[in-house]
Amino acid sequence: MSIIEVKNLHKKFGKFEALSEVSFSVEPGEITGFIGPNGAGKSTTIRILLGIIKKSGGSAKIFGKDVWEDRQEIHKRMSYVPGDVALWNNLSGGEIIDIFMKLHGSGNKAKRDELIERFELDPKKKAKNYSKGNRQKVGLISALAVESDLYLFDEPTSGLDPLMESIFQEEVKKIKEEGKAVLLSSHILSEVERLADSIAIIRQGEIVESGSLEEMRYLTRSVITMESDNDLSSLASLEGVHHFTQDNQHIQFSVDHKAINKVLMEATKIGILTIESAPPTLEDLFIRHYER
Amino acid sequence: MTEKFAYFNQLLLIYLKRDWKKILFWIVPLGSFGGAFVPAFSEITKDGGLIGMFYTMDNPALTAMVGTSPVEVAENYTLGAMYAQEMLLFTGLISAVVSGLHMVSHTRKEEDSGITEQIQSFRIGRQANSLAVLLEVLFVNIILVFYIAGVMVLFDAESISIEGSLLFASSIGLAGVLGGVIALIMAQIMPTAGGASGGAMAIIGLLYMGRGLTDVANPELSVFNPLGWIYLTYPFTENNWYYLFYLGILSVIGLVIAFILEENRDIGSGYLPQSTGRIEASRFLQSIPGLFFRLNRSMMISWLAALAFMGLAYGSVFSELQVFVGSNELISQMFQQENMSVEASYTGIITLVMVGLATILPIAIVNKLFTEEKSQRLNQLFAFKTSRFEIYWTNIAIAILAGVLGIFLSSAAFGLAGISAMKEASTLTFGDFIVAGFNQVPLVLFFVGLTGLVLGFVPRLGKFLYLYLTYNFFIVYFDGLIEFPEWVMKTSVQGWLPQLPADAFNATIFIGITVISLVMMVAGYIGYNQRDLIEEG
Repeated sequence: MSIIEVKNLHKKFGKFEALSEVSFSVEPGEITGFIGPNGAGKSTTIRILLGIIKKSGGSAKIFGKDVWEDRQEIHKRMSYVPGDVALWNNLSGGEIIDIFMKLHGSGNKAKRDELIERFELDPKKKAKNYSKGNRQKVGLISALAVESDLYLFDEPTSGLDPLMESIFQEEVKKIKEEGKAVLLSSHILSEVERLADSIAIIRQGEIVESGSLEEMRYLTRSVITMESDNDLSSLASLEGVHHFTQDNQHIQFSVDHKAINKVLMEATKIGILTIESAPPTLEDLFIRHYER
Repeated sequence: MTEKFAYFNQLLLIYLKRDWKKILFWIVPLGSFGGAFVPAFSEITKDGGLIGMFYTMDNPALTAMVGTSPVEVAENYTLGAMYAQEMLLFTGLISAVVSGLHMVSHTRKEEDSGITEQIQSFRIGRQANSLAVLLEVLFVNIILVFYIAGVMVLFDAESISIEGSLLFASSIGLAGVLGGVIALIMAQIMPTAGGASGGAMAIIGLLYMGRGLTDVANPELSVFNPLGWIYLTYPFTENNWYYLFYLGILSVIGLVIAFILEENRDIGSGYLPQSTGRIEASRFLQSIPGLFFRLNRSMMISWLAALAFMGLAYGSVFSELQVFVGSNELISQMFQQENMSVEASYTGIITLVMVGLATILPIAIVNKLFTEEKSQRLNQLFAFKTSRFEIYWTNIAIAILAGVLGIFLSSAAFGLAGISAMKEASTLTFGDFIVAGFNQVPLVLFFVGLTGLVLGFVPRLGKFLYLYLTYNFFIVYFDGLIEFPEWVMKTSVQGWLPQLPADAFNATIFIGITVISLVMMVAGYIGYNQRDLIEEG
């Protein structure tokens, strides 16, 4: 059974259609990257999943239960970290972590102390004196110190330094190994690429691409660099070849995977010295979807 | 049903723990204000003071401010009757305002800041937060009731009975609950936290002014005003407990409405649409004065409109004033003995009130500069070629302008309404009203200077200036009722200024206070220019 199951989700704010067609799923033991540009509907989707705003149509289920109706049951086994952790200014970080753990209901004191140490947070400081990154740590520690089966992260590492970012990544991997599910929404594509097993790309309120990262890479293009003593410029006109650039004997282009055999056959006829092929990065995938 | 409010008890405990200092600073001063003046008032009652006070309070101007009393003849006016008439509505009003502000700051404001979203991600019920904050407000007001009643009974003064004290205190407590409920409703309707507290304050303010008008013109109509119910309980005299029942029922109805409204809206949005802005900034907005005018615009407009409205309301009472003086020989003798017309002294007192209120706006404008600073928005401005000189003096100038405009609008409205109400019998000209108002301009200048000084050296204390202003005002306002020694009067800026048109204009004092104010403004600039900016998240 999928942990998150979203089908044809719609959301309207007045006349504005924030989500028009959102479907994806998150499986246990899997990290799903949720990416899209600003205003595409990532946070709206997450807030619907949290049961704090009501969907206009479609279905959204967590643990097989409706996110609005059975919110309370769901939330007992779920953790959430927003991109801007909001805190009460006059309480200390340690106090706020304890409150959040208490409200969640299944906190682990030892885990809390361990995380505070790992993330190098000073829990005595008042929240108003924390920097952006430290506020974020308070949210992360409270979410990671409780027992949950699903973790919703919305830009969780914004403001964290690279060292802390890698600690976060280690912790998320641990969660995954314990068989828990993670939905990770982020703009830091390298982070998503490193962690995620599958990806859902959202654009203007619609999921335009979803599946495992491997699959998606296969479905798209690779970047190929070649060197030859002869002129390779004739490859530019072949079907499936894009972004062709030439610098004397070096050429670089991206090619649709289904056209790769034909292109290579043509190339070997001309004669090549070296060939390098790189799989598309997540950034390539992402940009490809938004250029259009 | 239970799911919606699940774990509200846990939230309530957390909130009480989080807020206990605030609650202490809420109950003790407010409760003491409401209950601890018994000995001071009992001083006044000596040597026939009660009878004099009865006639003083019988004045429509005062009735409009503090409410009515059931006592019809001076001989029946007791300490309790006087205490209830003078203190109950004011304390109840403050209680409603404080509860309302607390309500918004822990519901809608936390929604805007994102805390609610975090709380909602736990197993907490969807409406548990509102219920918890409401119960917190209820809890505070219950403690407040026992505190006030306890303090009053302790003084063991004549006619201050236990029953009356409890009723007096309960009226204040229920006023607080009602204020909280009104705020909770506005928190659902308005698109932002600022709109919600503004809306709640506007409703409470309109109810207060409305009952002032009906009290003077037609007291029977005040029975339909929830704010009227507070003093219509008439503690120590009639002890009308049933008005508390009305307040309770109304609060419950309001509460149900608020919860229904909350259930049917998305978090972070209200029922009124959020207004959108223009695509491009106008030329005016692209300057420092333009920017700060804009930041203060809605506060300035609403405050100035309220001042003008108040001037009209107080001015329209003039005809009643003449009836009142004509009908009572003792009063007219009193005024004649002191050789001044009742119109002139009424004009002086009301001008005092209006200028006191008009001074809040300039203080708020200068304080806003510190709010901007704390939220780090000024950093961006200082990253340009903008100087602190420009920012500081622009805001000082806007504040002075707003204060002077406030005085002008309220005095003009007061004068226009007053003259048309008095018809031919008018002994005052429109100019008298305006001059009376402008005579008090040094008060605005003084507080702008003081706020500037505080901003320059101890900006965190800025919010306490409202307390000093209130003190200022209470000293002169109650001077007629409680005879303060001369040195106490001199701790109030308004105590130095003569009250026109009854008194004569005093150029020395006018210029003196103005010069002191200018010196404070300059000193404030020197401090502001060399201190570190303060940042709070």
